[in-house]
Amino acid sequence: MIRRLSAAALLAALTVYAQGGRGPAPPRTAKAAALYDLTGYWVAVVTEDWRYRMVTPLKGDFGGVALNPAGRKIAEVWDPAKDEQSGEQCRSYGAAALMNNPGRLHITWQDDETLKIEADNGEQTRLLHFASAQSGAGEWQGSSRAMWEIVPAGRGEKPVGSLKVVTTQMRPGYLRKNGVPYSANAVLTEYLDRVNEPDGNAYLVVTSTVEDRDYLAQPFQSASHFRKQPDGAGWKVRPCVTRW
Amino acid sequence: MESPAMRDQVVSAMNKRWKYAAGAGTTLALASVFAFAQGLDFSGHTGLPAGVDISGSWYPQPFQDSGLITASGALAEYGGIPLNEAGRLYALAWNPSRIQGRQHQCMGYVPPYTYNQPGNLRFWEERDPYTQRLIAIKHYWQIAEGTRTIWMDDRPHPPEYAQHTWAGFSTGRYEGNELTVYTTHLKRGWIRANGIPQSDEATVVEHFIRHGDRITYLSVVSDPVYLAEPFSRTYTLGRSIKEPDAWQYACDDGEQILGRTEDEVESYFWGRHPFVREFADKNKIPLLGTLGGPVTMYAELLDKTHDDQAAEAAALAELKPSAGPLQASRAPDPTPHDGDIHVLPVQGSVFMLAGDGGNIAVQVGDQGPMIVNSGAGAIPDKIVAAIKKLSDKPIQFIVNTGFQPDFTGGNVKLRAAGFDPSVQGSFFSGQFVDAGKGATIIGHQNVENHLMALKTPSDGWPSDTFLQARRRKFHNGEAVEIFHMPNAVTDADSIVHFRRDDVFVTGDIFNLVTYPHIDLKNGGGVQGELDALNFILDRTVYKHDEEDGTMIVPGHGRLCDEWELAEYRDMLVIIRDRIQDLIRSGASLDQVQAARVTADYDTRYGELTGSWTTPMFVEAVYSSLKNPPKQTGTK
Repeated sequence: MIRRLSAAALLAALTVYAQGGRGPAPPRTAKAAALYDLTGYWVAVVTEDWRYRMVTPLKGDFGGVALNPAGRKIAEVWDPAKDEQSGEQCRSYGAAALMNNPGRLHITWQDDETLKIEADNGEQTRLLHFASAQSGAGEWQGSSRAMWEIVPAGRGEKPVGSLKVVTTQMRPGYLRKNGVPYSANAVLTEYLDRVNEPDGNAYLVVTSTVEDRDYLAQPFQSASHFRKQPDGAGWKVRPCVTRW
Repeated sequence: MESPAMRDQVVSAMNKRWKYAAGAGTTLALASVFAFAQGLDFSGHTGLPAGVDISGSWYPQPFQDSGLITASGALAEYGGIPLNEAGRLYALAWNPSRIQGRQHQCMGYVPPYTYNQPGNLRFWEERDPYTQRLIAIKHYWQIAEGTRTIWMDDRPHPPEYAQHTWAGFSTGRYEGNELTVYTTHLKRGWIRANGIPQSDEATVVEHFIRHGDRITYLSVVSDPVYLAEPFSRTYTLGRSIKEPDAWQYACDDGEQILGRTEDEVESYFWGRHPFVREFADKNKIPLLGTLGGPVTMYAELLDKTHDDQAAEAAALAELKPSAGPLQASRAPDPTPHDGDIHVLPVQGSVFMLAGDGGNIAVQVGDQGPMIVNSGAGAIPDKIVAAIKKLSDKPIQFIVNTGFQPDFTGGNVKLRAAGFDPSVQGSFFSGQFVDAGKGATIIGHQNVENHLMALKTPSDGWPSDTFLQARRRKFHNGEAVEIFHMPNAVTDADSIVHFRRDDVFVTGDIFNLVTYPHIDLKNGGGVQGELDALNFILDRTVYKHDEEDGTMIVPGHGRLCDEWELAEYRDMLVIIRDRIQDLIRSGASLDQVQAARVTADYDTRYGELTGSWTTPMFVEAVYSSLKNPPKQTGTK
């Protein structure tokens, strides 16, 4: 009986902890509670999906994206000139695509509850709100809600986990440069992890899932990564373009 | 086909080799130095799983790099890979027809390429049954039926002269929701199976980051031979909720191109690759981008490709070797130089001794040890002491595979330390005053001829010589064959095959540290060297996917199996063919040297100084093609 009670108590404790709940007193701000430091300059290392990210893919090349018929219909009539004429050059720089673009990021804390990500390529700024989702609705970067998702650690160990970001209310854009669409109803879920290398390098690993009932037959999952830079050297502002 | 359990036994045997090496004498300290010299200090970690368990079945998700799974990728599709010049030229020379060669059909997968395969993956834990502490995370992947062990118990990595495998030697630790793994001792494999190589000097750091039913996998490959900077890349795995029940992927090499001889290795000559523009043209990408290199990984490429003419000129310059300078090997000689002899179990009753010049093989059993070669003679007493730990009997036979000082330098002292009871009390006793007073040295007659000409001490000359192609003995319970390889690196070379234990000892015919030292003045020649390498390959049998089975003790370099020998053969054929092509076009030696025909292999085998440099090797191949050596024996 004692053993059963102990097991039940342990399970309950773990459950509470896993829910991010009531262990030790929580830090007061998201900045103070940061599991790792993401601030500074980062350069995109475009080694995966290279032919979709570093160069403009051919029209109709949707490899790896499960478009539904409606999405396919839009992608097949992609017309970059038309986007330029209508002032929609930034369609492939929205939140669902931005972290896949080549270029550099500058990450800072705008305030104790807001992490700011600036991208030189396309001159875009994402605001990740920890306190509540604010602003951005209907813009390229949408409205992002962020949280530190904590993994239960051993007693006395430093808490570990990931930065989870959920972005909604994005202005319709392109997952890829060649007009693979996402809609205003798309939901972008991201994990931003920092890993440290033995050689002193650090990487920001972005794991993303785009769910879009309008244009995708199944979620589009991808990952990209950035290497930490010592400073802002190499930062080069580039305007939005419809083709690289 | 072997089961995963059998594969575990292979890994287990391999680890015994490594464990023994790490535990031999002063080698333990050295092994630790190796482990930490690589830059990853796992000391102080208990292996306690503070992280997220990744046990279970997983599959590669198809969303990312969907066209680049196993054996795919277009020719000259290297964008985003930080290839250096050697890596790019290796890839540009690669002809897909090569995979139909016998040794290439069942090539295994190295990490991180392992996770590019379309089959199922399984992770499980191995725990101490009494303490429940985590010892290792085991891993099996369906394609190539690979098995991997990630040691979580802080053990050191093996010494550099130990065998390399497809899975390599991995140690890991948990960091929160992440498993970090560090791997050394990999075979030469693929970054991508369209010819982009990952060398046997590569080390890999991997991060398995779990988010629910998904693992994001970040790998960072450091390869001084073929990469200009570390190659980092992500990939994603999804969790299989249902047991996939699809775990096998049989491979058995067969005769795919009838009539192709062993020394035909398909390759493209630089500047004449017929498909180099195919991928670029089809996808409307500037050729410069598709040729890879660090610049193709960053946004700066967008600037470089705006000027079409400049980009095209830069691309054309990359299709051939640059004007120079020559590159030296970035693969350090793994032979320890700490003044000690290091013992590595090879297979059965055969051991490898490293630390005094060329590698030494020792076969032990009920009779006195038979050893192959005697080292450089710098520390023969330590060789004798090391052999005494393997056998309580005196050395009975010393086989010399050649006359070079690296292999015969210890003849006098090792002979003196031995005893051959087979000639004591025989007719020989009455004819030779020293019969039975030491070990018997066996070698081809040309070995003795050369040693006599060099005026080395006569006590170190072979007393049991042979003239024909094959000398055989039955010793320590197994058949031993000694084959003369005429006109290989010299006219005196032999290889030794321990048939029961299935171990070849090659002497200088196979030197994994540098280009073959083809000694024209002493009867060597490129074709004889190729014939010798192919002679061995005609007799080797791998256990699983070009790994294990017949083991090979090279003259210099680490213990290996047929894969490394096949790579070496391929290298020599490809370079021979380039030089032959230039000779046919009327090129002089100077023009051949200027063409840098070894540019894709120099970062692995090249030497700029010392007694055997890259230009000397090129000259030897050139000269032996122009004036082939006279045959000095039969095979």
